[in-house]
Amino acid sequence: MDKPRYLLATILFVACLTKSVFAPAQIGRPNIIFLLADDLGYSDIEPYGSEVNTPSLSMLAEQGIIFTNYHTAANCAPSRAMLLTGVNNHLAGVPNIPETFTPEQRQSKNYQGVLGDNVVTIATLLEDSGYHTYMAGKWHLGSEPNKLPSARGFERTVALMDSGADNWEQRPYLPIYDQANWFSDGERYSLPDDFYSSRFLIDKTIEFIDENLDDGKPFFAYVPFQAVHIPVQAPKENTEKYLGVYDEGWSKLREDRHQKAIDLGLVSPQSGIKTMSWVLDWSALSKETKKYEAKRMAVYAGMIDAMDFNIGRLIKYLRETNQLENTVFIFTSDNGAEGSGASEPNSFLSQGIAGNLGYNTNYETLGEKGSYNSINPGFTSAAVSPLSFYKFYTGEGGMRVPLIISGETLGENIKFSPSFAWATDVARTVLSLAEVEPAGARYRGKAVLPMTGRDLGPVIRGESSRVYSNEDVIGYELTGHSALFKGDYKLVRNQGPLGDGNWALFDIVNDPGETKDLKQNMPDRFQEMLGDYAKFEQDHGVLPPPAGYSQLRQMAINTLKDRLEIPFLVLILSFLVVLPFFVYAKFNKRQ
Amino acid sequence: MRLVLERFLLGVVVLFGFFFIVLGVRWLVDPSASAIGLGLAPQAGLGLSSQVGDLSAFFLVTGLSILFALTSGNKLWYYPSVMLLLAAAIGRTIAWLFHGAAFAPLLIAFEIGVGLLLLLASKTLPKQE
Repeated sequence: MDKPRYLLATILFVACLTKSVFAPAQIGRPNIIFLLADDLGYSDIEPYGSEVNTPSLSMLAEQGIIFTNYHTAANCAPSRAMLLTGVNNHLAGVPNIPETFTPEQRQSKNYQGVLGDNVVTIATLLEDSGYHTYMAGKWHLGSEPNKLPSARGFERTVALMDSGADNWEQRPYLPIYDQANWFSDGERYSLPDDFYSSRFLIDKTIEFIDENLDDGKPFFAYVPFQAVHIPVQAPKENTEKYLGVYDEGWSKLREDRHQKAIDLGLVSPQSGIKTMSWVLDWSALSKETKKYEAKRMAVYAGMIDAMDFNIGRLIKYLRETNQLENTVFIFTSDNGAEGSGASEPNSFLSQGIAGNLGYNTNYETLGEKGSYNSINPGFTSAAVSPLSFYKFYTGEGGMRVPLIISGETLGENIKFSPSFAWATDVARTVLSLAEVEPAGARYRGKAVLPMTGRDLGPVIRGESSRVYSNEDVIGYELTGHSALFKGDYKLVRNQGPLGDGNWALFDIVNDPGETKDLKQNMPDRFQEMLGDYAKFEQDHGVLPPPAGYSQLRQMAINTLKDRLEIPFLVLILSFLVVLPFFVYAKFNKRQ
Repeated sequence: MRLVLERFLLGVVVLFGFFFIVLGVRWLVDPSASAIGLGLAPQAGLGLSSQVGDLSAFFLVTGLSILFALTSGNKLWYYPSVMLLLAAAIGRTIAWLFHGAAFAPLLIAFEIGVGLLLLLASKTLPKQE
């Protein structure tokens, strides 16, 4: 072979080798799929003791690690801010959803309820490091052009801006919205006629992944489901699988799930369980009411079932395209199950609200298109079993949720971890999996806050049993509901209407149900943690709401104000336009 | 009797003038809600610029022309409003016939009705000396 030919052959060989190394997504940095359920309770999926059939999540749990002591914010947007930035939600500008702030709180730059410009999302960091970044699902971190997911690091998006929406069509679920605000790649988006949320979001995720399948770059896909947020809706065939399953009521289900959690090793056999005093007595309900409530829960189970089925479709697609072995899955929920569904869904008030939005609450079609469904506090107490309280409260039921991290590349490691983990850790762990460093003090020329989340990698790999020491402190606040985690202990205060507003101290490792208040037995620890909490409030700019604050009432006031403010302004301006004509006409008449 | 009818017509025309001005101002203040009210998807970028610019101009010119007509007593000022409203009705019909748009009989009837009412006003309402 002469020299030029030899050179050419060498170049071709190297080129082929390079292509074979970099082209397939199976080699190199892993693909990461972040599946986020909405308002899913601690024991709502099979790996955490549920009777709901979730084979896809069971498979992921089987091949991965289950965190039994993972905590997140007690409601949606704050949780999402932490999950996507690794920064405390108060500092990231999202102490709560924007509709709930008092006028005084709105003065603070941190109390805007949308993701601040002082934080960098993991999507931005991953995109800048060569990842494709996709998102399909609920965003709820701001809908101004510079706040959209397409402006926060996601290359392809189809995203819901609101706190929730209908699962069957483009329709708002609360009177605070004029419409369901969906965007795709920065532009307003109209949903297709055959829309069902979980199916559609997985279809879009597959479509996005498929577009760049052969370019050799890994991807990060964020799939924040609408399941199982209100309105709780599911395909009929999924609901029908659970008809009859809940006929024995919520107290029995709460007990069963507690026992299953013990059997699975998720909680200690000695762990207690509290009866939530506000939950109605199932045995006192009429036969008709029991039948209706059991179907409400069957739809809820069907919605989880449908989500799992569609996760299964995504896994199948990845397997068929030879990407599964290099893909890491993270599955969790944004907060605990929601218990604000009406206790009496057929009451005049409940039907009036649903009817005002154009929905019905008929038994026959419950959960189907045009039906407004939810679960009431009774079945919510089972969804969070064996924990206390639920969404919007800082009891474990509002904050402790499933977390599964799974993937063949993670290797054969421990199956369960009782290690305390916090929402910000997810962001840091994603970066670690992708071998990407967090942002420094400045990013893209702007000062940004440092990521405080910790890498769960050492726990996943079995190198360490925990990532937080007994001295590390994690604080949290939501409209006066407060919590502080330190070691095995949790300082907590739940405000009304369900809480008593008093501080309590629990050992959440041995007593996740928060049944034994230790503040009398451990006064020194109690005082120390109160001091830690005061420091947390100060360091994070927490603005406690005024006495007598009610989130629902504030939301109603703000909505009314927002609704009336603009019409009032329009009228004033219109009068100003007309005024010269009026003056001229009067003046002319006198002449 | 004629005087009563004229006063009634005058009142209705004043109300329509104010109504169109409110619609125009609303497009400037709250384009998203205005768009939804007309069955439009709220736009961003250049689309939003066109929506706000063109539609606020349409409604403000319609309303202001009516007020100019009323205060000046010059019937010519009615004609811009009449032309805008009747052209809008024709445009809607063409959109339905040739572009697959939804048929909007109520809106077409409203635009034709108000247009004719303004034509009537231009003939009957008292003129300035």
